[in-house]
Amino acid sequence: MKYLEDIILKLGAVDRRIIFLLIGLAVLIPLLTPISLPVRETPTTVKFYEGIDNIPKNSKVLVSFDYGPSTMPEIHPMNVGVLRHMLRNGHKIYISCLWPDGIYMALDALEEITDEVNPDNQSTFDIKEYEDYVLLGYRPGAEAVIKGLASDLRKVYTVDAKGRFIDDIEMMDEIKNLNDFAYIYSGSAGYPGTFEWVKYGGDPTGVPMSSGTTSVQVNEVIPYVQTGQLIGLLAGMPGAAEYEKLIASPGIAIQGMAAQSFAHIVIVIFIVFGNLAFFIKQRRDRKY
Amino acid sequence: MTFSAILGAWIAAFLTLGIFSYLYKDNPFYKIAENVFVGVSAAYVAAISFWTQIYPNLFGRLFPKDGPLSFTGLEFDFNHEFNILYLFPLILGLMMLLSVFQQFNWMARWGIAYTVAIAAGLKAFGYLNSNVLNQVKASSVDLFSGSLPFFSLGGDSVFNNIVLLVGTISSLMYFYFSKEQTGNFGRFTRLGIYFLMVSFGASFGFAVMGRISLLIGRFNDLIDYSSADYNFATFYVLLFIIVVLGFWSFKNREK
Repeated sequence: MKYLEDIILKLGAVDRRIIFLLIGLAVLIPLLTPISLPVRETPTTVKFYEGIDNIPKNSKVLVSFDYGPSTMPEIHPMNVGVLRHMLRNGHKIYISCLWPDGIYMALDALEEITDEVNPDNQSTFDIKEYEDYVLLGYRPGAEAVIKGLASDLRKVYTVDAKGRFIDDIEMMDEIKNLNDFAYIYSGSAGYPGTFEWVKYGGDPTGVPMSSGTTSVQVNEVIPYVQTGQLIGLLAGMPGAAEYEKLIASPGIAIQGMAAQSFAHIVIVIFIVFGNLAFFIKQRRDRKY
Repeated sequence: MTFSAILGAWIAAFLTLGIFSYLYKDNPFYKIAENVFVGVSAAYVAAISFWTQIYPNLFGRLFPKDGPLSFTGLEFDFNHEFNILYLFPLILGLMMLLSVFQQFNWMARWGIAYTVAIAAGLKAFGYLNSNVLNQVKASSVDLFSGSLPFFSLGGDSVFNNIVLLVGTISSLMYFYFSKEQTGNFGRFTRLGIYFLMVSFGASFGFAVMGRISLLIGRFNDLIDYSSADYNFATFYVLLFIIVVLGFWSFKNREK
């Protein structure tokens, strides 16, 4: 028993760089040799899927890219999935960005999708700007931008991301403010993002909305799902993987779940050993 | 593969591995990556804010084509009409910029005061409506609803409603300091601490999950950049960083 305790004490006091290395390996190995793990949909993801699926066909929807490259692994698969889902249902997509680099995330997502085959009709999406989507682009101002969109979109967006006058874009003809959209979706990595869209976009206008967020935000955002202020939620990479499964388009999120799981196992093991070592040390200190 | 894509991959691999090198210890590669990140971010936000907001929305409204100020020679055609009210944000913005001069830095306070007041007003309404009223309403649950099952793991149930009610009240009571937390009241507030701990535990778990997701993203890119298409950028940059860091550590071993 003492021998075992000594081993646990050694493991509990292991150099942090060894832990970094082990977590690195736990993530790297499943990425190099893909392992398929089952993905089970959670109720919030199912609600999210149904929320988007129930938007009347050929509606006008607002998709906001509120993240940058730093949180791309979590949010990008969600937004690509949402665009796929919406395009399959024939929606017209209007893209705004509350983050300055959101515009590049949007361009990347659109480029990824355009040559993909739509499983519903076996032809490529072949999306066209100003016919299928409008990239409104980034505007600084966070909640002030959303408040502006809720009252008069043209006060915030004079031109789109390419500098074309909003009034010259046919797709914008019937869009005055947020009330003209059937649905709002925000892929959010923090401030400004989901919280601001709920407070100044969804709640005041009553337009149904949902969101995909980073894992860090989930605990704070999830109460909005319970109240119905958000129709479901995609919670971090697992949420993205579940959604990819629901829309039958497996992608980078599903691939990453094995690495995610193995890394968690390593972390949990070290947390357990760290706690055991703490209690053993406490007991021994008391003895002597 | 274009030259710019390959160059981009080498820079990305260098900056990523430079940031990762901090796991060993603070070093020049980390400093370079950190400073490049801060500098590029600040410059990018400044440039994009000017060209997408100030230029079309402010100048476009103060100096429209054939507007009253066109005699100045400044004309920006964004289909706007002249609006004199936009003079105020221009003046306040200029006053904020004047803070770089010692004798005028008091002027910046006007702009800051305006911004703070607007933000406070905006946020007060948003918080009250979305975070207070809606949450209080959602916490008012029907404990003995006949339409709900007694227990359900995923959806609404009587049991979940009881947990919600007890958890909300006991957690709130923990922050009630006008009565000493002893006896039955102390036991109830202790229950509140357990609810809070579960919440903090969930937050920690989600935070870890988020960080691992980001690591997966970086590793995915590094794996891509290690291919022949990118001239094995990851391997060469990693080797370079390890050799230089090893030499640097050897030279600074006394420190």
